[in-house]
Amino acid sequence: MSATTYGWLVLAFPLAGFLINAFGWRVLPGRAAGWIGTAAIGLAFLNAIGALVMVLDKPVAGRELTSTLWTYASAAGLDIKVNILVDPLSVFMILIVSGVSTLIHLYSVAYLDSDRGYARYFAYLNFFVFSMLLLVLAGNFVLLIVGWAFVGFASYALISFWYRRNTATKAGMKAFVINVIGDVGLVFAAFFIFRELGSFDYLTVFHAAPQHFATNQGVVIAICLLLLVGAFAKSAQLPLHTWLPDAMEGPTPVSALIHAATMVTAGVYLIGRTYPFFELAPTAADISAFIGLATLLFAATCALAVTDLKRIIAYSTISQIGYMVVGVSIGAYAAGFFHLMSHAFFKALLFMSAGSVISAMAGTQDIDRMGGLRRAMPFTAVVMTIGALALAGFPGTAGFFSKDEILAFAAHRGGFYWIFTVGGYIGALLTAFYAFRIIFRVFWGEPVAEASELEHGHLAHSEPENPMTGETEDTDVGFPGQEHHIAERDRPMWLAMAALAFLSIFGGVLQIPGLDDVIDKFLHGSFLDSTLYERFPSIAADWEGLAVGGTVALIGIAAAYRVYVARPGTSAALIRRFRAIHTFLVNRWYFDQLYDAVVYRPTIAVGRFANDVVERVVVQGIVVVVVDVVRGVGVVVRGAQSGFVRAYALLLIGGFAALGLYFLIVSS
Amino acid sequence: MDVTWYVVLSAVLFAIGAGGVLIRRSPLVILLCLELMLNAGNLALVAFSRAHGNEEGQVFALIVMVVAACEVVVGLGLIVAMFRRRLPLNVDEMRGLRG
Amino acid sequence: MTFHAPHIDYAGLSPVIALTAGICAVLVGGVFSARRQRLVVSVLSLTTVAVAAGLCIWQWGEREDLVAGALRLDELGLAGALIAILAAAVVIPLSWREPAAERPGSEPRHGEFQALLLSSVLGMVLLAQAQNLVVLFVSLELLSVPLYVLCGSAVRRTQSLESGLKYLIVGSLGSATLLYGLAFIYGGSGSTDFTTIRDAVGSGLTDDPLVLIGIALAATGLAFKISIAPFHQWTPDVYEGAPTPVTAFMAVATKAAAFCVFVRFFEVALGPAVDNWQPALAVLAAVSIVVGNIGALGQSSLKRLLGYSGVAQAGYMLVGIVCASALGVNALVFYLAAYTLMNLAAFAVIVVRERESGYGDGIKAFEGLGRDRPDLAWPLTIAMLALAGLPATAGFMGKLYLIEAAVDADYTWLGVAIAIGTMISLAYYLRVVAAVWMRPAAEPLAPEGAGMPAMAGGSPEADPLPSLAAATAAPRPGTRCLAILVPAWLMAGATIFFGVLPSPLVDWASHAGGALTPFLA
Repeated sequence: MSATTYGWLVLAFPLAGFLINAFGWRVLPGRAAGWIGTAAIGLAFLNAIGALVMVLDKPVAGRELTSTLWTYASAAGLDIKVNILVDPLSVFMILIVSGVSTLIHLYSVAYLDSDRGYARYFAYLNFFVFSMLLLVLAGNFVLLIVGWAFVGFASYALISFWYRRNTATKAGMKAFVINVIGDVGLVFAAFFIFRELGSFDYLTVFHAAPQHFATNQGVVIAICLLLLVGAFAKSAQLPLHTWLPDAMEGPTPVSALIHAATMVTAGVYLIGRTYPFFELAPTAADISAFIGLATLLFAATCALAVTDLKRIIAYSTISQIGYMVVGVSIGAYAAGFFHLMSHAFFKALLFMSAGSVISAMAGTQDIDRMGGLRRAMPFTAVVMTIGALALAGFPGTAGFFSKDEILAFAAHRGGFYWIFTVGGYIGALLTAFYAFRIIFRVFWGEPVAEASELEHGHLAHSEPENPMTGETEDTDVGFPGQEHHIAERDRPMWLAMAALAFLSIFGGVLQIPGLDDVIDKFLHGSFLDSTLYERFPSIAADWEGLAVGGTVALIGIAAAYRVYVARPGTSAALIRRFRAIHTFLVNRWYFDQLYDAVVYRPTIAVGRFANDVVERVVVQGIVVVVVDVVRGVGVVVRGAQSGFVRAYALLLIGGFAALGLYFLIVSS
Repeated sequence: MDVTWYVVLSAVLFAIGAGGVLIRRSPLVILLCLELMLNAGNLALVAFSRAHGNEEGQVFALIVMVVAACEVVVGLGLIVAMFRRRLPLNVDEMRGLRG
Repeated sequence: MTFHAPHIDYAGLSPVIALTAGICAVLVGGVFSARRQRLVVSVLSLTTVAVAAGLCIWQWGEREDLVAGALRLDELGLAGALIAILAAAVVIPLSWREPAAERPGSEPRHGEFQALLLSSVLGMVLLAQAQNLVVLFVSLELLSVPLYVLCGSAVRRTQSLESGLKYLIVGSLGSATLLYGLAFIYGGSGSTDFTTIRDAVGSGLTDDPLVLIGIALAATGLAFKISIAPFHQWTPDVYEGAPTPVTAFMAVATKAAAFCVFVRFFEVALGPAVDNWQPALAVLAAVSIVVGNIGALGQSSLKRLLGYSGVAQAGYMLVGIVCASALGVNALVFYLAAYTLMNLAAFAVIVVRERESGYGDGIKAFEGLGRDRPDLAWPLTIAMLALAGLPATAGFMGKLYLIEAAVDADYTWLGVAIAIGTMISLAYYLRVVAAVWMRPAAEPLAPEGAGMPAMAGGSPEADPLPSLAAATAAPRPGTRCLAILVPAWLMAGATIFFGVLPSPLVDWASHAGGALTPFLA
């Protein structure tokens, strides 16, 4: 089979799984829906491997393969095809997406076991994976937008999965609204591209762009900025990040899959995919890189102060995506995607471990109420520590190699790009600190009541309540199920976490400076026309960077150890001493309040003003007239429909008379 | 003889028929008026056929007579059905459907 | 003197012959099968339409004049015929439980009911192929007269009788107007044959008052059949009053056949006078779009709503004729096919539902359908969304093609009118969808979940509410009648299929449009 056939199959299996679960939920017994969903994604992963083998078979210059299933519309200048592009970049992405998704489906099989919406959950999840793979494999901008909108919808549906929780439905709405802002940006970008270059097709557009545009021409900068609006909304970069922490209202595996490993990296993929535009608009690329840097620092500081376990990891995600955005924006494509991969491994692992911990705590998510769980749940403690090590960039782990490669590339590029290196290392210090803040707070210290109970073999149980508001709930459909599941007791969860722990440690061997550079070589086939791709730093410079990065990570971990383990009172003392800063961070830099003050309140004020003043003049002048016209025509239309058949006859003859009159006037 | 007079006559017939449909309330009379309109068409067809010297118009007129008969049969059938249900035979009182 | 019988091409006439034979067979079968009449007659009529459809497909691609030029065998005519036959094939099972087909006494009359239906189909097949004024008029009457009877066939319902008589009176008025117009065109051109008329009109008759008045009269008569405003007023009343399967048939099949002859008459016979009739039809199209969409806004009966929506959709389709281009005809034929699919899906759901809930065809009857009867809710939802022109449905592609054709023919403002009309139409189509999915059924008794956002709510796993459970337990007639459900699913599935993968239908429509290419600019 050809690579593109495998590509189509990669799409077909999740779609089939979705359809089976969506239509067969009534008859599927027990965990069948979960296993069907997992099998569908697993088969997609196998086909992704098939596509990889086939692509590797081709010479480097011939690895961009397209296949058209059918032509959707071809008339009057439009040419919209349903086609996929199978090239190293998309193969790389489908491997990550389908691979990590398989493990997360596996985890969910057990984790969601007692939930009343089990089959609906897997139908949504399969639909999400299908949409994400469609987004990645799309061969033109129209299909990209379709996938883009679908993942937005799937994300919304899964955040609001427990639909009787008000906080969950609100969070879903927020995510949806911000994602739609991004969709609009992307649609406008595609429109401008079509207007300028006359096609939606990737390869056509990318080959035509360098001839058509001058460097930094206004329109190409506009296209890039619009693409960035789409990318930043999806990838939760400043200032469109506020939806992601709230998205943690969804089930934890959803946070692992959509809001850590796959969907939120779509923005990074988009920037990488449309690199010909960004290389033609260096200004836009630099703007993008600086926003990435600001985001990574901002989110890291928030993660220091937040106490909700899932939200800490969410801020960490925003921060890590900041690294990737910096990477792909400054031309370190291979490094950016390398980090995307290792992040997918360790962040999914961290979320899965967090899910296990939250289960053990009977739904509590506040790390201030946790402690000493390491003896009660040794496996979770070990794998979560592995995840934290990778996140912190501990020497030898996957995150260690990938993060530092971005920073080394920035240092090597020269000019003002050293700012990204310095900022990146500061971020890395904060990252190491907050990563081990989680570990030390959750697993070390005195065991809390739930922990000691669990040591005696009894899983804590409490009245179901909303972890955010403390409202009481039941366990019926629309709320989480009644049972809790931890990795120590459920084989599928254990298996998924063990696999990811392995990958988090050893994923880095794909690309060790001086030893091998698998990803650099492989992805090159997608960036053949890039002027930046091959500006790799020397091996010595790489290792210097790694040495700095390793030191920074160790300092951060040591500092966390000192604050949270060696001298347990330090944290409280620090909070007292820097109360203002802490409050500032706990409130996440007041971004939500800022939006409230800058966007929401003025809108309301303007609205009130408009209501008081403008409406009497303009609205009543125009809108009301329009409404009145519609209403008036309606009254006429329905009034004429009097039921009198003779009136109908009159109108018929009158209509004929008007027509006849018109023709007579024309003829004379 | 000039065809114009025939056409004028047929137009007058057509107008009388149309006027009848508009002002009469009995479905029976309305059917009669519709017949009148069709026959105005027939008259025009025959006149034009004569003027052009070909028979197509006459054939057309013969066929129209058959069609007109069909319409009347169906109309009468409906009127009988209404009559048997004691419904008023007045088109102005058929106002169940409107709006 | 020897008599030369005209050459008759039996192959080309075979669909017509098959239908005629089928009508006789159904009538006879109805008489001789007293107890199992419904089954015998349905099988006979389905066989007839299947054979006729097969013969149409067999003749697909042939282009020749039949019966001394009275009929034109080409893809356009066959396309119209196939749509009418498809509609009949769906409506025959839909009328399975139609009480209109049961005589007030004991003896059923499915035979008559379906023979009338098939006669109407025969009229449509002839009309779509008509190439002569006489055939045009006769086949139009053959189409209409059985429909008058069918509309009034539920003699125990006053509304049915009222709709039948109203349709008859206004319809006959339309026919008389059409006939008078045809007489004038004959008078002006001296022929009843389309191509001869074309030559005559082309050689200096474009400004002849006789011909122009004829065009006005004929346009009135034809516009009446396809429910173009201001000749549309019978539409909502008759749609509401007639038995629902008949409404379904009327809504789609009549429109398809009448549009085919409309195209042929205006583009072929009156093609040379295009500059005269084009602006007039453009205005009619715009008026229809406005009147149809605004009229549908406040309706509470779904059949009536679909009637007004039909007026608006006819306005969209008329744009395809106004364009007077091959692209316009292609778009028109595509839209006719799409319109048939979506409307039949909607009407099939109404047929099932109207006798279940006690609300008839009122929108109230469809509240809570999504939770109660997803097997009905989905076809209805798909039909509504397709009629509203949402992407990934055949309705979207159809509107896209019509707008493209309008822009291509320098009638951009009509394209804009279609777009605006579509926006207005969302208001009433989505109202139906909202009733289906977001309202509690019959008794408004859902305290939980009522305040939730709609998309997040409505989980199918939720236990049915006690009152609903009780209601569900009560026996309901016609609930699981596969003969009605399967067509609904098929039509809805096809609507989605051709929205996602439109090229087969597009190719089909372009073949049909290609038949007129010699006459189009």
